[in-house]
Amino acid sequence: MSEIRSAPMPPPDEEPLIRMDGVHKWFGDNHVLRGIDVSLEPGEVEVIVGPSGGGKSTLLRCANLLERPTLGKVWFMNEDITDIRCDLDAVRTKMGMVFQQFNLFPHMTALSNITVALEKVLRLNDAEARDRAMEQLQHVGLEHKADSYPGQLSGGQQQRVAIARALAMTPRLMLFDEVTSALDPELVGEVLGVMRQLAEEGMTMMVVTHEMGFAREVGTWMVFVDGGVIAERGRPKEMFANPQTDRLRQFLSKVL
Amino acid sequence: MAEVTLDTRPLVREAPPDTRGPSSPQSLTALWLGIGSIAAVLGGTIALILNYELSPRVLTPSCIDLQLTREIRGALGVCNFVEALRSSAETAVLLIGIALGVVAMTFGWSIRGRMDTLRRREQAITGAILGLQGVFIALVILAFREGRPDLFAKNFLNFAVIGPYFPGPFFSAIKNTIVLAFVGEAGGIVIGMVLAVLSLSTRSAARAPARAYINLFRGTPLIWQLATGYFVLLLGFDIRPSTFLVAMGIFALNTGAYAAEVFRAGIQSIERGQIEAARSLGMTYLQAMRFAIVPQAIRRVIPPLMNEFVILIKDTALVVVLGLTTSQQELFAWARAGQSDTFNATFFTAAALGYLVVTLPLIRLVNAVERRLRSGLVGIAGATP
Repeated sequence: MSEIRSAPMPPPDEEPLIRMDGVHKWFGDNHVLRGIDVSLEPGEVEVIVGPSGGGKSTLLRCANLLERPTLGKVWFMNEDITDIRCDLDAVRTKMGMVFQQFNLFPHMTALSNITVALEKVLRLNDAEARDRAMEQLQHVGLEHKADSYPGQLSGGQQQRVAIARALAMTPRLMLFDEVTSALDPELVGEVLGVMRQLAEEGMTMMVVTHEMGFAREVGTWMVFVDGGVIAERGRPKEMFANPQTDRLRQFLSKVL
Repeated sequence: MAEVTLDTRPLVREAPPDTRGPSSPQSLTALWLGIGSIAAVLGGTIALILNYELSPRVLTPSCIDLQLTREIRGALGVCNFVEALRSSAETAVLLIGIALGVVAMTFGWSIRGRMDTLRRREQAITGAILGLQGVFIALVILAFREGRPDLFAKNFLNFAVIGPYFPGPFFSAIKNTIVLAFVGEAGGIVIGMVLAVLSLSTRSAARAPARAYINLFRGTPLIWQLATGYFVLLLGFDIRPSTFLVAMGIFALNTGAYAAEVFRAGIQSIERGQIEAARSLGMTYLQAMRFAIVPQAIRRVIPPLMNEFVILIKDTALVVVLGLTTSQQELFAWARAGQSDTFNATFFTAAALGYLVVTLPLIRLVNAVERRLRSGLVGIAGATP
């Protein structure tokens, strides 16, 4: 139905960190994803763009099985995580996710938001969890807000705490679901700054975003998702300069 | 990186200016007419009754005609009440109240549109409303005293008959009412938690028994549950249970069904993102519930659970169907026992007052908690550093 640029073949000795294989998703009789193939090497950043309602977020949520694909497989660290025998809780400790609405726990301080999973899931003791959480807060520049509740932080600060919370689990892959869409414009920069820094440090990331500047500069790959399929995939700079499909051309003319 | 600092200046709390404007003699007149009407009717009536009750008096011939004889305990008090109601002073008070009220209504309502400040209009309308209330109450009292206030007062307002049953048994009954309701509520909360978790399951096999339980206990009268529960134990299982224990158990089972729905609604009211965030950190479903969802849900269900408790306090009256020993009597059973001893229903009036003594502070507390919870998430989290 559409021309798909094939990615260069990965070096044979390097396994992809995550691979989505013919993923379909139905919500009721709404066919949202119609055969998605994604493959990401360690250290790569894949930005996912496209019109709203096209299935970007669903794609991302199928990666850590917050939505279970109706059809198809997801491989993560050489394990088929769509197999129902797979221990998803263990898998998810290796796959951090950051949400559009931050989803910090409002009844916990910034610090406790981070330590709760370290203590209850990774079974670290208090001191270890605290040290690791403070380290991550420092990483996002918020160590002085450790004892603040989410309601006392700005949107940008909340989102940076949410990123720190995910990073504290030492994930191999980070999923970002439109993390700047709910922010006031003047707060977007600080969050994108953290993500850019993370990419430079070599974190593997899948990023659903409307920030085209970020997509162009930080993305290793860009996929354009429309109508539940990957309509186009390639290097971001090439895709911006020379879109191959009409749909991407139209989309870019609207958002740029 | 660029740090966007929040404005950290302390929030200045300053009352807004009063913008309702001045009052006027006209609007004040309407307001005071209304106040005068209700004061004449209520204040006058109460003052007259107190005057009759507290001044030294004897049984009047008309009272003796009404069979309020000296042999009847409390006859003088009842007689005074009736005499006060039927006195010509009371008639005068009521007529003055009605006159003031009618003037307040017509005057206040007719000038309200011409009032040019908010305060003036509010005064005019408030005067009209108070006048309406004064007239209404006066008409009710007029009609009441044309009926048989003597019979009513003798049977329902003769507090002298309560003497031997007060204060010891009365407060013991209040204590039993509270114990029954409290144990029932506590047990119901435990049962309700379990049922709520089951009824939220995605598996119909786990959901079905919980739904059946909830529907049975929400769909049948509590009075039937009490009676049947007792006989299920007595006949079905050949156990001879204490009625007090049966009542506690049935109240817990019944409250459990309602509490389950409260908890379910509370859990479902937590944004989906919260459980998704918890699960994406690798927490199991139960961990996510325990550390992320339930602590937030608890805060939201406190007011409705307290409302359930108020309802249960009143529903404990239904244990009379089981029959209780004297020391186990709660308020309603106390009233019924007193009434069957003395053939006087004033005990029920006293019981109602007893319920109010318990429920009114609780209702105030619920309202205060609701206000506090509604005032903001920071307050809920207890985020005062």
